[in-house]
Amino acid sequence: MKNSKKTGFLFIALGIVLCVSAFLNICYGAINIPLSETFTILLGTAGSNTNAYIIWQYRLPKALTSVLVGSGLSLSGLLMQTLFRNPLAGPFVLGISSGASLGVAVLIMGSALLSSFFTFDIVTNLGLSIAASLGSFLVLWCVVLVASYVKDTMALLIIGLMFGSITGAVVGILSYFTDSEKLRQFIFWSFGSVGHLTWHQLLLLAVCVLTGVAISCYLIKSLNGYLLNENYAKSMGVHLIRSRYLIILTTGILAGSITAFAGPIAFVGLAVPHICRQLFSTMDHKVLIPAVILLGAIVLLVCDIAAQLPGAASVLPINAVTCILGAPVVIWLLLKDRKLFF
Amino acid sequence: MRVLHYFVLFFLIVGCQQKIEKSAAITKNTNSIHHAKGFSIASTSSGITIIKISHPWPDAKTSFKYALIPKLKRDNITLDSKEYDAVIYTPLERLVVTSTTHLPAIELLGVLDKLKGFPTTDHISSKKARALVKNGTIKDLGNVASINTELTLAVKPEVLIAFGVNGQNKAYNTLQAANIPIVYNGDWAESTPLGKAEWIKFFAPFFQKEKKADSIFSVIENSYKITRKLAKTAVKIPTVLSGAMHKDIWYLPGGNSWAAAFLKDANAYYLWRERQNTGSLALSWEHVLKKGRNAEFWIAPAQFTSYTGLEAASDHYKQFTPFKNKKIYTFSKTVGATGSMLYYELASQRPDIVLKDLVHILHPNVLPNYKPFFFKPLDL
Repeated sequence: MKNSKKTGFLFIALGIVLCVSAFLNICYGAINIPLSETFTILLGTAGSNTNAYIIWQYRLPKALTSVLVGSGLSLSGLLMQTLFRNPLAGPFVLGISSGASLGVAVLIMGSALLSSFFTFDIVTNLGLSIAASLGSFLVLWCVVLVASYVKDTMALLIIGLMFGSITGAVVGILSYFTDSEKLRQFIFWSFGSVGHLTWHQLLLLAVCVLTGVAISCYLIKSLNGYLLNENYAKSMGVHLIRSRYLIILTTGILAGSITAFAGPIAFVGLAVPHICRQLFSTMDHKVLIPAVILLGAIVLLVCDIAAQLPGAASVLPINAVTCILGAPVVIWLLLKDRKLFF
Repeated sequence: MRVLHYFVLFFLIVGCQQKIEKSAAITKNTNSIHHAKGFSIASTSSGITIIKISHPWPDAKTSFKYALIPKLKRDNITLDSKEYDAVIYTPLERLVVTSTTHLPAIELLGVLDKLKGFPTTDHISSKKARALVKNGTIKDLGNVASINTELTLAVKPEVLIAFGVNGQNKAYNTLQAANIPIVYNGDWAESTPLGKAEWIKFFAPFFQKEKKADSIFSVIENSYKITRKLAKTAVKIPTVLSGAMHKDIWYLPGGNSWAAAFLKDANAYYLWRERQNTGSLALSWEHVLKKGRNAEFWIAPAQFTSYTGLEAASDHYKQFTPFKNKKIYTFSKTVGATGSMLYYELASQRPDIVLKDLVHILHPNVLPNYKPFFFKPLDL
């Protein structure tokens, strides 16, 4: 009883923090827009033309992207950690991000070769998203294929990592032969970014992430089954092998679509599930799924605020911020509780 | 024991005297460098030319000193080679350069045939140099960051003209050990248009073509100064935006940079001219939108060559007035046979052409019949 009270309190707290950080995220940027003006712009009434454009076409989509990316990655991290029964797993263990990197690397650095076939500029935002999705789904498809042969989930984990190594090597070779301008484009993509999604792209991303969330909710019973031994799960009416494909596919949809639009964003997917388990002291997915969704969104919103250096016109890469802010938090939680809740 | 002391003392005195003699030998200081800040040239009465590179890369703590000795006087001149970073015998018959910006000077001096190797020859755009690549005179030496040691040794250069970012290059150590002198060129660290172009005078002594270099440079200098004066006659000073975004960050030239100097000399108001920065600025795009939205012209939007390309990269570009009024100009459309941008090769040597291009674009009434070479309007 006491535990459920604590859970309820934590959820309310997380909800409030989410709203506050989302609002701060919209208020805070390179250009100083007064709080009152931000309100009037958001309410649709007047406001200076440029400021209104910045808020509606950049900061608001950016905040929503942060929410979707943070919650989607955390959720897929949770799915992978449960599936592999391994606390080191994250959304990218199946080689999804390396597949996406390969797709983008081929597009950016191979476009010098392809440009004789294409007269138009193919290295666009949309082109990058398509290449990243193609790359990640190619790798994911290989993994699913392998999964039908290999019944051992640990072997699947290793195979995912091996796919990652291979694609990493190919990207390395491509980079070596590329001129600095192209290389820079690729490196910038690999830093990750939650900015610059149009409302259309945002809608597409939202559909993917919400689909992932819906399937995960449907899977709650099987996910909890993974925490038990296999025979016991069967006695509960959970078919582990069948749900395995569904979990892999859901992770693919979540991590794949997010990587396509925002680049490979590190750390969030691995760390947020751990923070939630430590906070809520539970393994029940009925609690963990909404918890990682809320906390993931908060983490990315806060990191995006921190990426905007105070007083300076420049912005830090989001990938660096997630790691620098996030890693100490996980270390602190583990030191405080002196054991990993897993 | 005492005898030994006397010996040491004797050698010390003799050593000191020799040193004094050497420094006294530098009499003639050919002080003909007016714009470039990165190098100086002096010559001794005995015929040695001494090139000092004081600014091989931005914020450099080290400098380099090279001695150039005419091959004809090789047997008559003795010098302490330890005082110099390299000793080179001129005129050169075989050399290797490593940056496309080195090529125009060599071509203008008429010694392109002495060039025997270049890293990634695909980057070369000059027609004459491309012909030499095709007939095998100029050999490809691999990637510039890790030049292929074996191929470089095989072309037997008498000198390799390098450029450094920080002076760390392992491949150069191996070449130096094989007695190939490495000479650092710092043209790229120069921040004024005429300063960069004046580096032709750095190449001249290697081929004993000092007079030719002086006359070529003074033609370029005059043409530049005349255009600058003409630009001043324009009444209206247009505002200019530059660069483009990578993700959320807009990269544009600093207020004291080479690119900004051109805009100043073209009598334009570059919106970030107050930023005391010789390199590039990395600014949040929100800031650039606020300040640059209503600029009249947009010069050099990174790699973009068309309005559709800009639009596909980011919808935000459409908010800028030069986008709406189709006033964006780029040098990315002027490419050589292999697709490399000519601007990166030739512009530093020919600032007069760059300035004329800009004046023609920014002040249509000043040079109405001029046909721009580097800068062209973006494709629709």
